[in-house]
Amino acid sequence: MNIELILFIILATIAAVTSILVITRSNAVISAVFLVLNFFALAGLYLLLNAQFISVVQIIVYAGAIMVLFLFVIMLLRTDGEPRIFSDKRYIKYFALLISIFVFIQVSYLLLIGSPSKSVTGNQSASINSGTIETIGKELYTNYIIPFEVAGFLLLAATIGAIILAKKKFE
Amino acid sequence: MELANLYQSINLIIPEIVLSIALIVLVIADLIFHTNKKIIPFIAGTGILVTAIFVINQFNYIGFAFSTATHTARSFGMLAVDSFGVFFKLIVIVSSFIIVLLSLASDEIQKTTDRIGEYYALIYGMILGMFFMITATDLILIYLSLELLSLSSYVLAGFTKLRDRNSEASLKYLLYGAVSSGLMLFGISLVYGLTGSTNLYIINTLIQNPHINLFTLSFATILIFAGIGYKISSAPFHFWTPDVYEGAPITITAFLSVASKAAGFALLIRFVKTVFVSYETNEGFWSLIEVFDWQSILVVISILTMTLGNFSALWQNNLKRMLAYSSIAHAGYMLLGLVVLSNQGLIAILIYFMIYLLMNLGAFLVVMLIANKINSEEIDDYNGLGFTSPLLSVSLAIFLISLTGLPPTAGFIGKLYLFIALVDAKMIAVAIIALLNSVVSLYYYVRVLKHMYLVKATASTPSIIPSTSNAILLLVLVVPVLIFGVYFQPLVEFAKDCIVILGI
Amino acid sequence: MLSIPIEYYLILSAFMFIVGVTGVLIRRNAIVVFMCIELMLNAANLSLVAFSSYHGNPVGQIFVFFVMTVAAAEATVGLAIIIAIFRNKLTVNVDEINIFKW
Repeated sequence: MNIELILFIILATIAAVTSILVITRSNAVISAVFLVLNFFALAGLYLLLNAQFISVVQIIVYAGAIMVLFLFVIMLLRTDGEPRIFSDKRYIKYFALLISIFVFIQVSYLLLIGSPSKSVTGNQSASINSGTIETIGKELYTNYIIPFEVAGFLLLAATIGAIILAKKKFE
Repeated sequence: MELANLYQSINLIIPEIVLSIALIVLVIADLIFHTNKKIIPFIAGTGILVTAIFVINQFNYIGFAFSTATHTARSFGMLAVDSFGVFFKLIVIVSSFIIVLLSLASDEIQKTTDRIGEYYALIYGMILGMFFMITATDLILIYLSLELLSLSSYVLAGFTKLRDRNSEASLKYLLYGAVSSGLMLFGISLVYGLTGSTNLYIINTLIQNPHINLFTLSFATILIFAGIGYKISSAPFHFWTPDVYEGAPITITAFLSVASKAAGFALLIRFVKTVFVSYETNEGFWSLIEVFDWQSILVVISILTMTLGNFSALWQNNLKRMLAYSSIAHAGYMLLGLVVLSNQGLIAILIYFMIYLLMNLGAFLVVMLIANKINSEEIDDYNGLGFTSPLLSVSLAIFLISLTGLPPTAGFIGKLYLFIALVDAKMIAVAIIALLNSVVSLYYYVRVLKHMYLVKATASTPSIIPSTSNAILLLVLVVPVLIFGVYFQPLVEFAKDCIVILGI
Repeated sequence: MLSIPIEYYLILSAFMFIVGVTGVLIRRNAIVVFMCIELMLNAANLSLVAFSSYHGNPVGQIFVFFVMTVAAAEATVGLAIIIAIFRNKLTVNVDEINIFKW
């Protein structure tokens, strides 16, 4: 058993368990905190995958910015927790759960028979090169310049939108 | 990327550049003229007109812009500029110009003068998103432009906030949209994993080799279809449509039902054509790569979409909501043009879109002018309007008859070409189902006419006479619907010129 | 590194994705529904990064960069809409926000 597998098992377990906790905790704040933990575990997995840049951005943007926004809004609105998640409309929810488990089995089966590891074999040096901030920065500002500009307009639209929606009522 | 390549690419995206500049000018002008915002709509309109000129100019160009990936010594771009794309850009730009005029006439929008700059800026955001959606040939750009369009429309759907049903429409739109784009993203990640590329053309060449697992690929493409199907509101992703269309301001409803749907269709057609078609036969039929049976899936989806749309519309008492269901049904009809997988079907879709633009925007214009006066869209409130407001009622009658697809209106021509394409592809059964659906739709369209003309006007029935400029706008939409019903040759010729989709 | 099969990452990603979908289906608090959507996006990100790393090309990681941008923008707009609704109705429960039929 090598160190990579051990690290993967630890991080994957954290990610899987916290993701379940996110959807089962009735208090929104606790859900949010578990989601942050989940993002940290993912950042660790990205490091295992030689994606240094994405790993750091994951922590800065997701755990740092987006989740803080969520926590702010939760605390601003001070909503009550859902008393028990499986109390109302119980049968519909159990049904949803059942379907999800079924879909998960199907997706896993599809991924396994697809057996990507036959065609996709990890090449250590290529993989390390592709994850550096240098490679990504170069690609981003040359080949992917158009998506980059579109992303800029996306952020502009989001800013305008958030401002007019959150503005106090006019009149 | 070399500098020469970049220079040539920039030539191909001039309309988008002009649009971006106009957007920035609009945002700045909104800050400068914050006391008197009367000028903002004119800046918006001018920007759209200038863009339209450059779009028309693009008919001369053809080619890939921003070539990134090279595969077997050929390079494919991130954007494909071709006449098919230019056609849909024209649809988008014409409908946006009409929407700007509609916004000027709408009381609902005019009440929000202090935020009018943001309103037009977000409309520009939508147009920009649609432009990139229409031309994109790279999954990254497709995803981003879809999101740009969606984000702007989420906000616009809740823009007026005069009644709280608005922000609710917004929330519902957002939740459904985010989930379907999440599904789409997962599908894209699988496609990338299987092929190692996000360029549609490279994916096309790679999936022709037998190493790729076809089941996984089919699953991934179904997930991607979830994202596109949400945009064109096809079943089973149509649930948001009635609520959002009813809750959003009426100008935005009209815009979503025409332009956003056009962009979604352009994306869908380009996606199917570039990814799954290996070659075109001499008769103009598209030969699919044996991935899985796209054709039967599309048949099922389109029949489901039009049947659900038409039958749900039967019970609606709100005209806006009824038009929402009818627009779902129309998406179903238009999908039929893709189902036949031939150039003839494509021509039928293009013809249908030109006519759909006129009649749907026209119907919404009349509904808006009446709602301005009586502040209601309930069909019961239309009782007797046929006698007190002749111009509006006659126009609405023409638009509704055209939406049903009866001669001598243009709607008939649109349906006719679709059915001919179906019959030529030997899909008689599908054509008959579509025909029966049209018969069902006759019932709910005529119900509105019954309320307007067969119920006697009472003393309280308002008489609505539109202002001169609105009347002119109305005539501009009504007259072509009648003319194209008899003299449709130019539409057909134009559509035939616009079916070039850049292939391998 | 990269000695373990890529399927491990993909199964984890599929698991997180399905958990996210389940959350969207069963939770009623609009903010938590949003968090579940973030979970779905992250699951897709994980498989993108895994594929990118095993293919040895950076496209997947660039895609993840853009997905993060979109997620941030979507969260901003979504939370602003939730705040606007809360002002009107003092609730964020998607069952109670229900003039229309869901």
